[in-house]
Amino acid sequence: MRKTYWLASYPKSGNTWFRMLVANLRRDTPVDINDIPERSGIASARAWFDSVMMFPSSLLTHEECDRLRPMVYEALAQEVLEDDPEEAETMIGHTRFVKTHDSYTYNPDGGALLAGIKGADGAILIVRDPRDVAPSLANHNRTSIDDAIGFMADAGSAFCGHRDRQPNQLRQQLAGWSGFIQAWLAQTDIPVHLVRYEDMHADTGGMLRTALAFAGIDATHEETARAAGFAEFGELKKQEEARGFREAPRPKAGAGPGSFFRRGVSGGWRDELSTEQVARIERDHAPMMARLGYAPARDMTERMAG
Amino acid sequence: MFFYTVSGLSVASSLVLPGLIAAPELPGVTPDVVIREGDVPAALEDAESLGPTWQVAQGRFLLEVPGIIRMLLTEGREIVFATADGIASEEAAVFVSGTGFGILLHQRERIVLHASAVRVRDSAVLFCGPSGAGKSTLAAALSDAGYDLVTDDFCGISMDTSGLPWVQPDGRQLKLWQNSIDKLDMAERRAAPVRKVLEKFYVEPRAASVVALPLAAIYVLREARPPAAPGILRPNIVDGALMVRGNAYRPAMVRRMKQQPLYFQAAASISQRAGVFTLTRELNFAKFPAVIGWLEAHWRELGLLERAA
Repeated sequence: MRKTYWLASYPKSGNTWFRMLVANLRRDTPVDINDIPERSGIASARAWFDSVMMFPSSLLTHEECDRLRPMVYEALAQEVLEDDPEEAETMIGHTRFVKTHDSYTYNPDGGALLAGIKGADGAILIVRDPRDVAPSLANHNRTSIDDAIGFMADAGSAFCGHRDRQPNQLRQQLAGWSGFIQAWLAQTDIPVHLVRYEDMHADTGGMLRTALAFAGIDATHEETARAAGFAEFGELKKQEEARGFREAPRPKAGAGPGSFFRRGVSGGWRDELSTEQVARIERDHAPMMARLGYAPARDMTERMAG
Repeated sequence: MFFYTVSGLSVASSLVLPGLIAAPELPGVTPDVVIREGDVPAALEDAESLGPTWQVAQGRFLLEVPGIIRMLLTEGREIVFATADGIASEEAAVFVSGTGFGILLHQRERIVLHASAVRVRDSAVLFCGPSGAGKSTLAAALSDAGYDLVTDDFCGISMDTSGLPWVQPDGRQLKLWQNSIDKLDMAERRAAPVRKVLEKFYVEPRAASVVALPLAAIYVLREARPPAAPGILRPNIVDGALMVRGNAYRPAMVRRMKQQPLYFQAAASISQRAGVFTLTRELNFAKFPAVIGWLEAHWRELGLLERAA
């Protein structure tokens, strides 16, 4: 029986790292970062919609697409598509892991965009300290950090939401950093396993073993430790420096392509954000930060001071 | 009825289909394809395979675009459609002329690629790729650079008795998003919206070819992002054939209709007779002149620009 698990995350929270870990499980050598599915590796890929529905999403409005998307995920959960010979799904045995940056929303017909239990057996929700997300998102979107902070606070923010051109993916409503996580935690359609980026750092292999167990996959300590080594930040960055990474930020006028694997640390915000920026993020997201255990800077300083 | 020529077929339609080659009515001649409004069943009783909004049975294909239109396609000869309540037929026309006709061509066992094509002297060159790869905008830029439009979006290919692939024109207008129209400076040639709710419009090309042309080259469009470097490359013949097959108008259609062998043979033959290449470039309007420069240099290398018109 085929199973599907969403890898749900607000952008720049460790989703790609997690996919690299999964891809490296039970391998003898580290997987090439450019062999991870890109175009068909995400729920919002147009190719899936067009292929399942037989008419192009590009002739529909975002809202019309949203009404039909549950049908696409329900069909995909049941059948194996072999449409793209260049990309294979991220799978372990019969379990597929599909990245999504869609907030857990319901469409105007009242259906869950991602089709609830008909679309997936569960979700691994990856979260990261919003103060670390902000500079990373700024790098990815090639905007200022202040703009990234504004984007994260905007409940109406989306990826690929243009209407005057064809975005490369279906629109993803992000709902803001807090809204995204809140929506996934509040829904009761499918089980969710929460993973904190910071805990991925602290014990990569252990985090992976627990997450895989949630998805019904037994992996030994040795297997997950080995995958963790293969997907270690230094290895990923080395690969990107040598050959580039196709998911890296697009080149910007006057600047070359950006790098995807930037710092790979937690707590880097301390030397990247101004005091005002830190305060703004903490003000925007206080309840969700508290819920996830991300302490405000003032507390941290006081605690460190003793 | 309105009369058109699409991919080499004569079409009689009760619905105005923007962008197709208008044809004179030929008294006493039975059209290859009839398109008319009528009753469309909710389901096919003997469906052999189904998807969320479509069903395939022997010789028939039922497709619904929920809230917009339902179509029954029969043996590559007929499309009967019914629009949903409150939907004007003009609003549904693009689904008939695009998706409907594309699937109908599959029913006729025609090779249909998801591609745009332009005329280079006495041949056709194709640009393939998934939705959003930039097929139409590249064809639009090339049409302004003096290469007549042959097809947009999908492209019917037929093999002659000697196995030479020919591209059937369908004279479509281009379908471009407003952002592309602005960037390509084509506002003056903008026609009706493809659908009223979309900022996507029919655009008159500078010129369109109405004759069938031998297929000289297929370019599979790729975005230049590391490690894919910009430029034109020739894949090996097996990869080339796989790329051709992978760019069928609806790969799932090929599978459902069990046409994989047909496509593989045609793709192998096309790879042998016509060059299959990858064209990797940045998705950036400012780069169009450079990309057209690469293509022209490549066409000179292939001898396409030397042949007599």
